[in-house]
Amino acid sequence: MTRNGPYLFDEFFASGKEESISPFLTPKSRKYAKNIALKSALLSAFLLALAFGLSFYSSIYSNFTLVFVYVLVGTPALIGTIDDIRNLEINIDVLMTLAAFLSVLIGSQLEGALLLVLFALSGAMESAVSSRAKGALHHLHEITPHFATVVDDKGVTTQKSVREIPVGTHVLVKAGEIVPLDGEVISGRSSLNLVHLTGESHPIPKEVGDTVQAGSRNLDGSITLRITKSSSESTLSRIVKLIHDAQEAKPKLERLFDRFSKVYSMSIILLSALFALSFPFLFHIPFLGVEGSLYRALAFLIAASPCALIIATPTAYLSALSASAKKGVLLKGGVQLDSLAGCDTIVFDKTGTLTTGELTLKGVTPPPGSKISSDQALALAAALEKRVTHPISAAIQKAAADLPAQSVQNFRAHAGLGLSGTSNGTPLYIGNRPFIEERTKLPEIHPKEGELIAYFLIGDELFLLSFEDELRDDIGETLNQLKSNYQVIMLTGDHYDNAAHIAKTLGIDNFQADLRPDKKLDIIAELAKNHQIAMCGDGINDAPALARAHVGIAMGKVGSDTAIDASDIVILNDDLNLIAWLSWKAKQTMRIVRENLILALAVITLATTPALLGFIPLWLAVILHEGGTVVVGLNSLRLLKK
Amino acid sequence: MNQPAHFEGQSAKEHLKKARKKGAIATSEIHGTEMSGALNAFCECARTLIALLLVTYLLLTPTLLPLLLFSLAFTIFSFGRSSLIAWSRLERLHRLIEDERHEITHHREQEREELTEMYQAKGLSGKLLTDVIDVLMADDNRLLMVMLEEELGLPLESFEHPLLQGLGAALGCALSAALGLIALHFGGLLPLVITAFLISGITAYLTASRLRIEKIRHITWHISLLFVTGAAAYFLGRALL
Repeated sequence: MTRNGPYLFDEFFASGKEESISPFLTPKSRKYAKNIALKSALLSAFLLALAFGLSFYSSIYSNFTLVFVYVLVGTPALIGTIDDIRNLEINIDVLMTLAAFLSVLIGSQLEGALLLVLFALSGAMESAVSSRAKGALHHLHEITPHFATVVDDKGVTTQKSVREIPVGTHVLVKAGEIVPLDGEVISGRSSLNLVHLTGESHPIPKEVGDTVQAGSRNLDGSITLRITKSSSESTLSRIVKLIHDAQEAKPKLERLFDRFSKVYSMSIILLSALFALSFPFLFHIPFLGVEGSLYRALAFLIAASPCALIIATPTAYLSALSASAKKGVLLKGGVQLDSLAGCDTIVFDKTGTLTTGELTLKGVTPPPGSKISSDQALALAAALEKRVTHPISAAIQKAAADLPAQSVQNFRAHAGLGLSGTSNGTPLYIGNRPFIEERTKLPEIHPKEGELIAYFLIGDELFLLSFEDELRDDIGETLNQLKSNYQVIMLTGDHYDNAAHIAKTLGIDNFQADLRPDKKLDIIAELAKNHQIAMCGDGINDAPALARAHVGIAMGKVGSDTAIDASDIVILNDDLNLIAWLSWKAKQTMRIVRENLILALAVITLATTPALLGFIPLWLAVILHEGGTVVVGLNSLRLLKK
Repeated sequence: MNQPAHFEGQSAKEHLKKARKKGAIATSEIHGTEMSGALNAFCECARTLIALLLVTYLLLTPTLLPLLLFSLAFTIFSFGRSSLIAWSRLERLHRLIEDERHEITHHREQEREELTEMYQAKGLSGKLLTDVIDVLMADDNRLLMVMLEEELGLPLESFEHPLLQGLGAALGCALSAALGLIALHFGGLLPLVITAFLISGITAYLTASRLRIEKIRHITWHISLLFVTGAAAYFLGRALL
């Protein structure tokens, strides 16, 4: 945020009031707020190492240094624990904090500090990874215009907040602007696309009488709309509400470790209390003192919270997240790996997900007996189109990239219709059917499903340029691979015939077409009753379904920011092959987490507790304890392999 | 149009007055508000520690080491206290901005009335006033900024991070302790007294310059305060200890 214009307070609120973008702090001092938990944990780790070194020379200086460790990382842990206890939630956090602070009572403050530091480090790293997940709807607010240009009876324009624009108001939408509210065109003509809403880049011509949706992008001309829906009822607002509802309805994701930790922590705390209270009666030992039952119970509690247990899960998740990031897959947290490992159904959106979402020139059809070659026509079309930004222009430019450049004179853009110019005196017209029909008689043409035709008139010779949204490379192979582990479903807002054509090509038996965002959400919610669902999509219209699915996977390149924010996993390079890889990685992570937990429990069972009871010497217990921690760490590092 | 839930039974004008007061209270804190929080903390803590060192020495005449340890403990305390005060203030400001955002979203008519009241007071009227209000109401981000600055009187981008304020306090203590203890070690009581007056005077000068208040009066009052503090410790110590 800078002071060059009004603040983007939305960003601040969407971030959960992050201090690092607080509007009250000076820009220079905001850097102090960045990753403050991680900085504090690292400083504590340094101080702990110092305390350990000092412990060989002077216990006083060592303890003095440890005080800072306990304050820096112990205070936040204590606050969290008090909150957990207030919410009647006894989890591993409570156990670790209790163990760390009670260890001071039996003179094991270094071990307690180590627990706190490891705990703080893993928490800080996890929050650094998941901080990207904050502000789920921020980008949607960004693309939603906050104000619109209102035209009054005298034609005077003023800007008004979209919240204050009633139905019936006339609003001007200029080329390049996003339509602020749903409405009907009352003057002007233009092409609009729904790339922000659906990922569909096909330009759709709009003229007087046509309806337009909020969130569409006006590509070329200026249009005036009569507003038909207020801000709270417009298409974008409805999608925002759907996303909110979907996020509320999403089942609470729980890590394997979370389920284990609740039972484990409660058991250890209860057992410790039981030992402290019952030992004086059972074994005739005192309650207080070094040999007392309280001391032994505390020792048991601390022994049951080994470092190996703390690092068992975070190191595995962090390794898996790091390996995924190297592959170009961004996960918003470790819990998504647990969910993905359990998925049995994967649902795909069509446009922009199974297809590229970009128009591709499929062919140039010259008139019979033309002296102008298709390549020459294409080069001339490219010369005309290079002056505008439009999905069709981009497709023509791409197709003509290797052709010699042509020059065009007298260029003119006809909003919502097409372009014109001359080349060596020959008139050139490129555009939609109504535009060319004014100049020549057009043959009857029936485009295939999903095909878009542009008409190009060179003098009196008519060329037809056909465009299509192409399937992604290797998508068939990817789906075949996924089908062996998942039920594959396609949901699309596109027409039935088009969807059926794509589904048949890709061998998808289960598909539904003509779906609006709310319908997609309903289908996902229904499927989620009996299946664990992963949903893969890219458009704003997919965002509610992505938010509701057990795991939402968004396409990073073509995906709208809102879809990316509403999802749990982002495939940065849009390579769907990575879904199969990620599924394997998720299962591998689960396996390693289980192994780590078993190893950590083995440390407790075979080393620490027997040592406390005097069955094995202390030096052997220390070796086994530290050895267990190292083995757990190394085991997690296996997940770094791509 | 009046809505008790928003104006709490008051007129828009009365509500505005109350809101401004709320903003002024929110920004104020122990170190003051009109100069950089870090510099203010630096000056305050430097003055406080040197006064405490002087009083402790006058009462107990300890050796250098206890005074050094006392200074270290006070530096840690000042760092933490100053940071925590600034954090509390920041949290309070964040809550206020959230409240105002809620008002803008849910009580637009009342916000319009407040804006009208504010800009009428600035001399605008008629169509110009309506146009200005329309422009401000058109963009929620801009409206929130205007309401924070104009209604609540909250200055944006003007506070330092709490840690920086804490560091200012710690630095003030450290510098004050270093100068005071060096003076004591090499010269005894008189150099300590002179150093204490110098630190008090210089930091008072810095504060007065930044706050743009009467320098001589400010410096003199701070020196007098140190004098009376030291004198009280000296004479009562001699009489009672």
